[in-house]
Amino acid sequence: MKETVIDAHNLSKIYDEKTIPVYALNNVHLHIQRGEFTAIKGPSGSGKTTLLNMIGGLDNPSGGFVEINDTNITALKGNRLIDFRLNNIGFVFQSYNLIPVLTAKENIEFIMLLQNRPKEEREKRVAELLKQIGMEDKVDKRPVELSGGQQQRVAVARALAPKPQFILADEPTANLDSIAAENLLDVMLKLNKEENITFVFSTHDQRVINRARRVITLEDGKIVADTAPTKIEHLLYEK
Amino acid sequence: MSVLTKIARRNIWRSKKRSLIIMIAVSIGLWAGIFMIAFYNGMIEQRINSAITSELSHIQLHHAMFRKEYEIKYELPEGKKMLEMISNDPDIKASAGRIIIKGMIASASGSNGITINGVMPKEEHLLTKLPDKIIEGKYFDNHQTNEILISKKISKKLKINLNKKAIVTFQDKEGNLASIAFRVCGIYKTINGPYDDANVFVKINAIDSLAGIPNSLNEIAILLQSNSTLDNNQKKLQQNFPNIEIKNWKEIAPELGLTVSVGNQMAYILMGIILLALAFGIINTMMMSVLERTWEIGMLLALGMNKFKIFVMIVLETIFLILIGCPLGLLLALTTIVVTNHRGIDFSKYTEVYSSFGYKSVIYPSLTMGQFGIIMLLVVFTALFSAIFPAIRALKINPAESLKK
Ligand SMILES: Nc1ncnc2c1ncn2[C@@H]1O[C@H](COP(=O)(O)OP(=O)(O)OP(=O)(O)O)[C@@H](O)[C@H]1O
Ligand SMILES: [Mg+2]
Repeated sequence: MKETVIDAHNLSKIYDEKTIPVYALNNVHLHIQRGEFTAIKGPSGSGKTTLLNMIGGLDNPSGGFVEINDTNITALKGNRLIDFRLNNIGFVFQSYNLIPVLTAKENIEFIMLLQNRPKEEREKRVAELLKQIGMEDKVDKRPVELSGGQQQRVAVARALAPKPQFILADEPTANLDSIAAENLLDVMLKLNKEENITFVFSTHDQRVINRARRVITLEDGKIVADTAPTKIEHLLYEK
Repeated sequence: MSVLTKIARRNIWRSKKRSLIIMIAVSIGLWAGIFMIAFYNGMIEQRINSAITSELSHIQLHHAMFRKEYEIKYELPEGKKMLEMISNDPDIKASAGRIIIKGMIASASGSNGITINGVMPKEEHLLTKLPDKIIEGKYFDNHQTNEILISKKISKKLKINLNKKAIVTFQDKEGNLASIAFRVCGIYKTINGPYDDANVFVKINAIDSLAGIPNSLNEIAILLQSNSTLDNNQKKLQQNFPNIEIKNWKEIAPELGLTVSVGNQMAYILMGIILLALAFGIINTMMMSVLERTWEIGMLLALGMNKFKIFVMIVLETIFLILIGCPLGLLLALTTIVVTNHRGIDFSKYTEVYSSFGYKSVIYPSLTMGQFGIIMLLVVFTALFSAIFPAIRALKINPAESLKK
């Protein structure tokens, strides 16, 4: 049964409205179902980050609105919006995702701590995820002691830990070499399958795009294509 | 909450150099501020003690009009009997009677308006330790009558040396002018310059008859065993002598009480300035630290850390930053106070300047628990005050903007 998690209606974002208006997003409709593993691609400046920020409730659209599981998040303000993000959305950024003064374990635990989850649940979940991302031996390392790829895996684990409605990742592999990028994708796909967690991520990287199940192409703030990669491409890149 | 404390605590050590500078500034500021307050205390205490033991005594008795007009006729006719009664009280350490006359002292070189203190040599010795103040010559001789003690200042000004004659002129009870020649038997010096300018001492029986009040007194001064029995003894005396004006040292020299409160205020104002300077340093440091972490704070907001928690995190960080400097500052301050309180700080090199204000040259700094409490409150207040601005700045961060870079 299909269940819509993200519902974006008529989304627009206009910068510099008074001088020379820039349409970062132009009347975008988007529906994401539970369990999707969706890539958003497009040239630089096409509006990928803007779209993810709108969906994630980090920025307000100039027009339209976003519903997450029937909650209109565009109408939420201040701490209510922050609390909504805390309890429903996971974020992975391009880099410097982790809180520098916390260890890998503490970073993964962080969101659950903010949610006041009980200790046993947190410990169990952290141990489970550390294993999933293959970093059991790095529990007590601070972010500076981890490689870029390891940091990104910890960031994915942190976003996943509280089992959010979906995870938004803005170019999660952009600062990684190809092996680390493949590794991160493996982890994301595995968790997507095993825990049925929805992933929406933006990327430039064709190899990453090829591993997505759905690819949305943006150009000048508009969706110009919304497809699944061809079978052949899948066969080529899937391991 | 504990994760906020953990993050705040660890954030302090992210910029070790900056934290160390703040820590050192806080320690030095506290040290200087607290010691200064203690020093003021010592100075005030010294001033009051010396004023009581060498000039004012604890309690003075006068005719009700005497202190308004300073005229000889406002005498205590039963003075000597009263004095005898008073001196038998065990609470009282010493007491003496005086005749006090406004007059002039003259030499070949000039003249000077002065207060002539007719004193009882033995009693005065016990009460104000007058002989201890003599730096040249001797105290009154039992067999000589017309002897006078003048100050070093007057001696210089009027060029009257030891054993030379000085003419003292005043109006007697009836208003007739009287002049007597005295031989300078001794020259005194106190720590109170203005006092020295205006006082000479003669034996009471050398002037009482001439002044027209033989065997009478204008003033009885009383030194108590302890200042703590001041109010009780004042009341008791007032009951025994209902028609006599009985004043304690605070009433006689209200400017001394003022010294205490002005001194206290000064110390707190200076402490306040030090803390304010520290506060601005800390605000500046924390502002920098918040701005440098715009990305990180934006990320925390994005992840779902609400504004209240962000605020608390920065406030905690600021407070921790201040608190790590406190123990060292307090330790330094208290150690310095204990040591200097024990040894005293000797200002004898600067004693000339000092004495003109009535301060003695050795100061024993001290601090009361109450003052310590107020200082601690001020420090806590400073910490909170400096914490608020960086925390408010952190709340202005917009996650979408800050995550762009
Ligand atoms: N704060 C802003 N003020 C003005 N214009 C902006 C602002 N943020 C983004 N834009 C514009 O909006 C458009 C979309 O930007 P966005 O960051 O979404 O692109 P993107 O697809 O994420 O690009 P990239 O691949 O380089 O990350 C761009 O033309 C950009 O110049
Ligand atoms: Mg982008």
